[in-house]
Amino acid sequence: MSIGAPRLPWMSASLLALLCFAANAVQAAEAPDGQALVRTYCSGCHLEHDGVFERISSIRKTPEGWTMTLFRMHNVHGLALPEEASDAITRYLADTQGLAPSETAPSRFALERRPNAKDLDLGPDLAQMCGRCHSLARVALQRRDADDWLKHMHFHVGQFPSLEYQASGRDRPWWDIATKELPPKLGALFPLHTQAWSDWNGRTHREPTGHWVVVGHEPGGRDLVGTADIASDGKGGYTARYRLRDTAGRDVAGDSHALLYTGYEWRGRGALGGVASREVFALSEDGVRMSGRWFDPEHSEDGGDWTAVRADAPAQVVAVLPRAMKAGASGTVTIVATGVGPASSVSLGTGVTAKVVLADDGVIQAVAEVAADATTGTRTVSVGPAAGTGAFAVYRKIDQVDVQPSYAIARVGGGKVPPVTAQFEALASARDAAGVLVPLGPVPAEWSTAPFDAEAARTHDEKFGGSLDAAGRYHPAGAGPNPVREFSGNNTANLKVHARVADGASRLDGESHLIVTVQRWITTPIY
Amino acid sequence: MSELKPTNRKAELLLKAAAEGPIDEVVAMDTVAGCATTFDPGWEIDAFGGVASLCQPMEADLYGCSDPCWWPAQVPDTMNTYPNWSDGKPSAQNDWRELDAVFPKK
Repeated sequence: MSIGAPRLPWMSASLLALLCFAANAVQAAEAPDGQALVRTYCSGCHLEHDGVFERISSIRKTPEGWTMTLFRMHNVHGLALPEEASDAITRYLADTQGLAPSETAPSRFALERRPNAKDLDLGPDLAQMCGRCHSLARVALQRRDADDWLKHMHFHVGQFPSLEYQASGRDRPWWDIATKELPPKLGALFPLHTQAWSDWNGRTHREPTGHWVVVGHEPGGRDLVGTADIASDGKGGYTARYRLRDTAGRDVAGDSHALLYTGYEWRGRGALGGVASREVFALSEDGVRMSGRWFDPEHSEDGGDWTAVRADAPAQVVAVLPRAMKAGASGTVTIVATGVGPASSVSLGTGVTAKVVLADDGVIQAVAEVAADATTGTRTVSVGPAAGTGAFAVYRKIDQVDVQPSYAIARVGGGKVPPVTAQFEALASARDAAGVLVPLGPVPAEWSTAPFDAEAARTHDEKFGGSLDAAGRYHPAGAGPNPVREFSGNNTANLKVHARVADGASRLDGESHLIVTVQRWITTPIY
Repeated sequence: MSELKPTNRKAELLLKAAAEGPIDEVVAMDTVAGCATTFDPGWEIDAFGGVASLCQPMEADLYGCSDPCWWPAQVPDTMNTYPNWSDGKPSAQNDWRELDAVFPKK
């Protein structure tokens, strides 16, 4: 940026905000609806013209995006906003200025706080300008026109002025790029007005209330199956009661209280199996499927994948557990399905015999036996009228083991910032007669680490970084300077993570890359 | 460069990397969402994709990061956004346990 480039007048704005918010706060209790609350708490700075608020009305965001904005208004500009009013404004703005399901779809990993998710690829210019500090999903989860994207650039240099002399600030004409090239590009990529939003915002959305069948998977941990009953709480929210069990038959009860933003964004708080949970789920556009992720609020890396389908949805196989069996093996298979009666017959495809032993509210258990000469490949599973193409696989031998994630970050922790663990999972595949890899799902593995390179060996990263448990979860060591390390360095590490999988007498190996690094103190809902 | 001799490990690494080709200060990498991709010297990883060339221990220069807002998405900047983050904690090396995350847990 040149010396004379424009800057956001944030200092004066914050002073003004302090004055007018203090005066307006008294009126808040008498202002029940969202627009009135925006008028009360925001219009002192964001002037209103015929129901249009400066800046605010030019932006669409997710619930998390609006939450972050309101936090910044409080933290930076001194906005005194009671929690109830903050929640109501977030809800109003997410409902009236949110994103359509198709607009959030590519970036849901960020909302779901999926650990070690690969960021969006929006090209090198946006990677340098935006992605060098925060995720590009954070950009892609907002909608503005070019003129507001330009104001967003001005905001950034006002709020974070040293970005001028960071790498990619000091070494190129970044201000020209930021103010001339990128606003039109962002305005075209992520514009305020879209057909998707017009269509979604103009529709009546199906309520989530009802009876659902559920399947959940914790990487490195349990598979859960069962049901959910969702009811209105009579105050604009929902309560959910979960009756789940793991595939070993242990009951896992849970409950949740949730709000539904923008007609499809389910945000729940509750407990699952006695452990506190947060839920970030999305209803499908037709309202018959809900999918997403639940996680521990203190450890967002610790959670699982969630899929729920309305029990009265057209007959379908939702999941089959385990996902594969070996030729010659026998055991219990659990099928989650809709539209299935209590005495349904079951088929797991060619070369597999199966007999239903239990059918309870969408969860069917069958005893299966795979013929010794069964061929490797996927199978179509059917339970009564429900069918799932490729929902199950048979294999003769494991041909490949992949460790997921293939690249992971763990963070040391201690004091007020907890550590961030990294969970690995060994995924097996087998080749069919045509040489095509057939996914077999997660398999047990023997886990170990090794230095990633000679430098990691020299600095004893394996010894200092932490430890990998038998379930494939890496527990980083403590934070802070370590006086016994070179230069009293932190317990950072650069490691290979190995999984060794037994398949009969054979052993197959998979590998991943783990970085154990330092903590972060900015823990916004969207990174 | 031929007149200069590296005197420590990091300088050796830089010399080696310089001989192999230019070091990108910002790499459009296959990155984990939310990790910084500015490598001067890098917050989560360094320019070589490892951790050996990060500031170590990080606490030795943590306030040199927070004061000028060097990692604005990872470390609270005390320049503008979180001016009181390190109040009462004058030594990052001794007081790091008291430094808290800045976004409220709800």
